[in-house]
Amino acid sequence: MLKYIFKRLLIMIVTLWVIITLTFVLMVNIPGSPFNTDQSSNATVQANLEAHYNLDQPYYIQYLLYIKSIVTFEFGPSIKQPNQTVNDLLSRGFPISFELGIITIALAVVSGVLIGIIAALRHNGFLDYLTMGIAVLGISIPNFILATILIQQLAVNLEIFPAATWRSPAHMVLPILALATGPMAIIARLTRSTMLEVLTQDYIKMAKAKGLSPWKVIFKHALRNALMPVVTIMGTLFAGILTGTFVIEQIFAIPGMGRYFVESINQRDYPVIMGTTVFYSAFLIIMLFLVDIVYGILDPRIKMHQKGGRSR
Amino acid sequence: MSRKKLLWVLLVLFTAFVLAACTAGEDAGEEPDDADTDTAEEAEGEEGGEDAAAEETPDLDGKTLYINNGQEPTSLDPSIGFDQVSWDPLNNLMEGLTRLDENSEAAEGVAESWDISEDGLTYTFHLREDANWSNGDPVVAEDFVFAWKHMLDPDTASAAAFLAYYIEGGEEYNSGEGSADDVNVTAIDDKTLEVVLIQPTGFFLDLLTNPAFFPINHQVAEETPDWHAEADTFVANGPYMLDSWDHDSEMIFAKNPEYWDADAVNLDYVHFSMVNDSNTQYQMFQTGELDTASVPPELSDELIDGDNVFIGEYGGLEFFRFNLTEEPFQNKKIRQAFSYAINRDDIAEYVVKQGVEPAYGFVSPGFTAPDGNDFREENGDLVAFDPERAQELLAEGMKEEGYDELPPIVLSFNTSDTIQAIAEAMQNMLSENLGVEVTLENQEWNVFAEAQQNLELQFSRSSFINDYADPVNFLESFVSDSYMNRTGFESEEYDELIQKGKSETDEEQRYEYLYEAERMLAEEMIAMPIRYYNVVVLEADGVEGILRHPVGYFDLKYADKTE
Repeated sequence: MLKYIFKRLLIMIVTLWVIITLTFVLMVNIPGSPFNTDQSSNATVQANLEAHYNLDQPYYIQYLLYIKSIVTFEFGPSIKQPNQTVNDLLSRGFPISFELGIITIALAVVSGVLIGIIAALRHNGFLDYLTMGIAVLGISIPNFILATILIQQLAVNLEIFPAATWRSPAHMVLPILALATGPMAIIARLTRSTMLEVLTQDYIKMAKAKGLSPWKVIFKHALRNALMPVVTIMGTLFAGILTGTFVIEQIFAIPGMGRYFVESINQRDYPVIMGTTVFYSAFLIIMLFLVDIVYGILDPRIKMHQKGGRSR
Repeated sequence: MSRKKLLWVLLVLFTAFVLAACTAGEDAGEEPDDADTDTAEEAEGEEGGEDAAAEETPDLDGKTLYINNGQEPTSLDPSIGFDQVSWDPLNNLMEGLTRLDENSEAAEGVAESWDISEDGLTYTFHLREDANWSNGDPVVAEDFVFAWKHMLDPDTASAAAFLAYYIEGGEEYNSGEGSADDVNVTAIDDKTLEVVLIQPTGFFLDLLTNPAFFPINHQVAEETPDWHAEADTFVANGPYMLDSWDHDSEMIFAKNPEYWDADAVNLDYVHFSMVNDSNTQYQMFQTGELDTASVPPELSDELIDGDNVFIGEYGGLEFFRFNLTEEPFQNKKIRQAFSYAINRDDIAEYVVKQGVEPAYGFVSPGFTAPDGNDFREENGDLVAFDPERAQELLAEGMKEEGYDELPPIVLSFNTSDTIQAIAEAMQNMLSENLGVEVTLENQEWNVFAEAQQNLELQFSRSSFINDYADPVNFLESFVSDSYMNRTGFESEEYDELIQKGKSETDEEQRYEYLYEAERMLAEEMIAMPIRYYNVVVLEADGVEGILRHPVGYFDLKYADKTE
């Protein structure tokens, strides 16, 4: 087990290095500069700006500077907000995105799984059609449209919740609802289909025949197997939602990490691009690693020290 | 039977969880809410009580204006924050030697008077005795010397530095050829500042209203170089001071009691949100969370004629550049033909909407000439919509160049819904009125800007926003060696006109040169004006006194909120 974890850690570091290098290559190859502006400017001013951010240096020096900044975890100042270091942006934005994300995920997973079970138990019944109908809607309506509808109805018309910003718990309700609906629907459908499959298997009949209560059959025997595919998608879902969702943060004016991730690319804010990419990648890699560990716990048939690659 | 029971239990569980998730969230951060409730009634009393939204705004004890800055200011270091989102806050936190008055003209700010030497080169400013920083320090001449040299220091990498090239030694210092000591700005004593310019500059006092020329408290800045990054260390000398700053989220300005004209300030607080989405900020305006908002483009038709809409001029132009180094636009007549084929009225009224004015000249309305008339009116319409003339010119131009048919033409623009619509309208007009088929090409903004700078685009979209209130600001863009030229246009005659238009001491004569320069731009038709910018703002009932200057920044000094 320890050996396996150590090996995985090594692979993780190499993966991260590849990502950093690729990001750098892509970054210097997209045309444009952080100092392009519709505002008046002149050549001297542009030269001073480039010198200030080391952009006049040859690429290999810039690359080494980036590697250095990543190893020391000091990403330096943002070009577009020079008062702020990238570390400031990350340490301020991530907790907010994380807070939004963790509540969203909790809501999506618990309600998604519950809806999935209900639908499976009521296979082809009214509740099944109802919940799955809603789930299809949830998947097909993009969250930014849902967000606008929620604001218009619940904030502007009914005045129950504030429209935007991130100040009090009441401000959190709408963005969380908008963000959670999609993943919830996906999880519900996934749970339902695997649940249906599992419920017809012999060991469930066996469990029922033993006289176990329906509770035990569902939660102890059926659900454990039915959850495997859900766990599989959790890794990416987690990393995606926890590190910020650009559109929702933009609409609700939430000062999270998502906007830095997208805007830094549009603005060619190189240190922020690097910082957010490294952070996001590291987070994603760790999440996938954790999911693999959880697999082992949920399904003892998957051995950690197995030789050779295991396809996921 | 038991299965049915289980289902019910699950349903109940699910509902319970959803409810729990909501309430759990509500408990999570109870403190800020609690602190708020006491003051909620007083502050928002005029809203009429039970408004849910009113309780959600952070309540400040006193008269508070809630406005939106769109996003985090780039920087509140006056030398660095060279854009709208920094100018708006800075102009209310600080004050330069001059400040724009109700008529948007440069009037006394920190300086209560000034003397200009006969040759127009030396300016001596007398600072107000009662001008103070928010920490109690007096505003002294050394603060300006410090700030301007800070701006010109190449290590500061200020995007605004070129504005200070009018000062003797400024360009040399900024380009690394000179030193700070050579910049000819001196503090004669605490309250007297002397500046020597390289040439007479009729608009120098206007230039000084730009936040780039605001003072910096040199004692604070020497001790804390990052003084401008946080509210704790920020020192202001304007109508307001920075009370708190939650980065990327909100800023709260409080009335600055140390401001020399504090009696004129009516508001106790100004709350700046940072909401970037145009629909969201409008919805927040509807719920009362914001007192002013912009009009979302989709709702323009509905809202533009409403009662609470303020429409004002805004110094700037949307235009299309011809690339004179690429066929067929080396030919003047072909360029003119294109311009004559465009119906600017239709573009302004049906495509851009928002109450914008079509542009029949380059310099936008709102710049007052020495005789008191508007620059725009004085120089009249310089371009027109005339399909017949367009076709004639095109035929003549093609003959001159020996074309049987025009080379393929690509119209490029940066990706945006509104701009796309303008480009499509132009494509239509060129096809209908001129029989020319152009291909449209859109690019991500930064890619586009780079290609335009390198003269790689044939016919491309551009916009210009004024930095200071003088027509030369725009016209100067097209001198031969300008970084802003981006057309391949080179003309000694034009360069000379602009040089005179900057340095002539007789203001009326100076304007004559500028009129001539603008006419020449239109005759040469190196860029095709489309429409002027404007500022459209929704203001809630009772909001008044916000000065919205055509050159960029708004002024909340006289703003008030009554019921």
